[in-house]
Amino acid sequence: MAEALIETEGLTRRFGALAAVNGVSLAFEKGRVHAVIGPNGAGKSTFLNLLSGELRATSGRVLLGGEDVTRASPDRLSRLGVGRAYQTANLFPDLSCGDCVWLAAQSRLPSSMLFFRPADRYPQVGVRAARALEACGLSQRRSAIAGQLSYGEQRQLEIAMVLATEPSLLLLDEPLAGLGHDEALRIVALMREVAKGRTVILVEHDMDAVFSISDSVTVLVDGRVLVTGAPEEIRRSAAVRDAYLGGEVV
Amino acid sequence: MRRQVLLLAAAVALAAVAFSGDRFWLQFLGKAMIGCILAIGLDLLVGFTGMVSLAHSAFFGLAAYALALLTNRLGLVSPLVTLPLCIAFAAAAALVIGWLSLRATGVYFIMVTLAFTQMLFFLFNDSPALGGSDGLYVQARPVNSRLAAYVVIWVALIAVYLLLSRVLRAPYGRVLEGIRGNEQRMRSLGYPTRRYKLVAFVIAGATAGVAGYLDATLYGFVNPAQLGWRQSGLILVTVLLGGKGTLYGPAFGALLLAFIEHYGEQVTEHWNALIAALVIAVVLFLPRGLAGLLHGNPRG
Amino acid sequence: MSLSLFLVQLVNGVEYGLLLFLVASGLTLVFGVLGVLNFAHGSFYMLGAYLAWWLSARTGSLLLGVLIGVPAMVLIGLVVERLAIARLYSRDHLSQVLLTYGLVLLFNELQSVLWGNDVHGVNTPAALSWTMRLGETQTWPAWRAFTSFACICIAIAMRQVVLKTRFGMRVRAGASNAEMVEALGIDVRRLFSTLFAAGTALAGLAGMLAAPLTTVYPGMGENVLILSFVVVVIGGIGSIKGAFFGALLVGLADTFGKVLLPGFASAMVYAVMAAILLWRPRGLLGAAAEGR
Repeated sequence: MAEALIETEGLTRRFGALAAVNGVSLAFEKGRVHAVIGPNGAGKSTFLNLLSGELRATSGRVLLGGEDVTRASPDRLSRLGVGRAYQTANLFPDLSCGDCVWLAAQSRLPSSMLFFRPADRYPQVGVRAARALEACGLSQRRSAIAGQLSYGEQRQLEIAMVLATEPSLLLLDEPLAGLGHDEALRIVALMREVAKGRTVILVEHDMDAVFSISDSVTVLVDGRVLVTGAPEEIRRSAAVRDAYLGGEVV
Repeated sequence: MRRQVLLLAAAVALAAVAFSGDRFWLQFLGKAMIGCILAIGLDLLVGFTGMVSLAHSAFFGLAAYALALLTNRLGLVSPLVTLPLCIAFAAAAALVIGWLSLRATGVYFIMVTLAFTQMLFFLFNDSPALGGSDGLYVQARPVNSRLAAYVVIWVALIAVYLLLSRVLRAPYGRVLEGIRGNEQRMRSLGYPTRRYKLVAFVIAGATAGVAGYLDATLYGFVNPAQLGWRQSGLILVTVLLGGKGTLYGPAFGALLLAFIEHYGEQVTEHWNALIAALVIAVVLFLPRGLAGLLHGNPRG
Repeated sequence: MSLSLFLVQLVNGVEYGLLLFLVASGLTLVFGVLGVLNFAHGSFYMLGAYLAWWLSARTGSLLLGVLIGVPAMVLIGLVVERLAIARLYSRDHLSQVLLTYGLVLLFNELQSVLWGNDVHGVNTPAALSWTMRLGETQTWPAWRAFTSFACICIAIAMRQVVLKTRFGMRVRAGASNAEMVEALGIDVRRLFSTLFAAGTALAGLAGMLAAPLTTVYPGMGENVLILSFVVVVIGGIGSIKGAFFGALLVGLADTFGKVLLPGFASAMVYAVMAAILLWRPRGLLGAAAEGR
């Protein structure tokens, strides 16, 4: 069994009386694609927010490479190699694609407290940005304004931005939501590429995609882990089918 | 290209005034250029980083008072000594006030900067030792002739503009843009955004300090009214009027406001209503300011 | 400090705080529900005071002045909301600050044109011009007691309205999620107008009550406005309870500050605010920061 890059111990987040995530203990193996699925309201997004530092846990721990990062801020986690792509477009709407990815790439400089040399004289940043754009098929759209891209292209840009930060752990939050069939195929292919050499935690509703690229699947229901296993086991599980009352067909 | 030409023309025109030696114009445009420096510094904060601060006048006033006190109490006059000291003082104040204010976000931040500005106003207004509501005379000015002061101000304006332009083109400037566009995303990309905002606040405070120093030099007089939120509000007006987020726009906004204030006073005693109407009209109908008119499709 | 002096300042501080509460409550609601930062709020306080003076001078009765003045303030609030504030609902902070700043300048000129720049005294109604004895040496003017009493009644009434009525429920819903309220089909325009008018009237009423105490003078709204902002910051945006306790705190800090540290009295309040923000960046009772 490969070592866990990130694991949670009894991770819990309450909102008032409601425990959106309740005592979740999971270990995510390095270099694998892990899907987290579950019916609506299962706590998947909350779980992801806890991992990316945007929500603080009520109790429990998050360990990254053995280090306790439960209280780490989002920016610290990013610098530790955690990259988060968002479900709804979370870009810089007035900047061009190139500039969006540039900012993402620039974050890998030891510090951006640099005041005198123009930004484009930092070639290492440009190279990283160009590579990310290329990997996501957006090289031609470099000067297009992010806010004016098509929905599918915005998804590509989301992923490009995360890639430009050279993460070791990728948190993907419903990257296929709202996409048409062709666009979804394109993003799935992209995800498969991007997953090579990285650890991915994927929250998704699109079951075809989940089963085609995941190495392991965890099912969350009402904030708790129902079962974790290989895609085939999950697909055949009666318990999982029951959990999806009238939801996705597994 | 249009922009470069416009800026060059303005710089040359302002320089030409120095040769005329006309007392009124030297004083008037000297003051107007100080307003430009204030506007440019505030644009860095408001237009480029998205931080609406009402504390800008506080740093202006602090530097002005610092000069008055340095010359009156310590006998320090040389600009080589007093200028760096006053800027450092304004920057230090900005560091403290900025650090405290940035504990708050969004609208709380604006209100906190307002409260600190008022605090400083009262501190100076209520202290007889600091001149009270009458203010202080600067007994010995670092620069003695009106003409020399004008030239110094002109040089300072160009220098501040070029310096800030440079900073905005550097990686730091990109970060500010990102913060303005989507601060939360910047954090998730790994930037500790509060630090960058604090630096922006200090840079703006330092430029306000330069303006305050020059103002005290030009007029030889400092008073608490320069520190209040009304003053900060007017500087914000010039930023919006000229076009926020362009750096040069607010400078023109400041020039325009200076002319309107001056001629407005001559036309009616209720010229404040004129300014009010202008402000309201700009907010409602010309939110991108003059620079917006120039560009046709400006950044918003 | 002697005990009687302490008690007097305590009473003064509470009185001041209660008046501030009237002003701040409108400000915090307008900001919490309508999402608008309104710098002109202090102008409503001033307008209320001027109206009270002008009407009481004309009619000989401050009470009549208040009875006419409050509806007048409601009307003014409705007009300002429709013409100016409504345009700010989806605009950024800078626009809100500047537009309302423009309104402040406008109202100041209006006041100057209509009523001139002199300071005016306002007489308390004869019925309330006596003083009560408190202990051996201290007295308490009846008008001030009445004012405090009125503020407390209004605070209680507000609490009842907010907690127990449907209107109050919409206000609370709007304070936590204005978009949702609209999506639920509630007439948000009417809610906003009403709320703004109420806030205006409250500020105006505070001005009317304060007029005999502070006299009526140009720029009187300014200091109250800033202090109201301090109250809102301390108490948390959108929280009436926060505004209440914040106002008391500010009133007491200001009053005791003037007595203990005369040179730094005005600065004292802001020092308290800074201290509170260091401890609780969202205000004492503001929404707790989610995660970060």
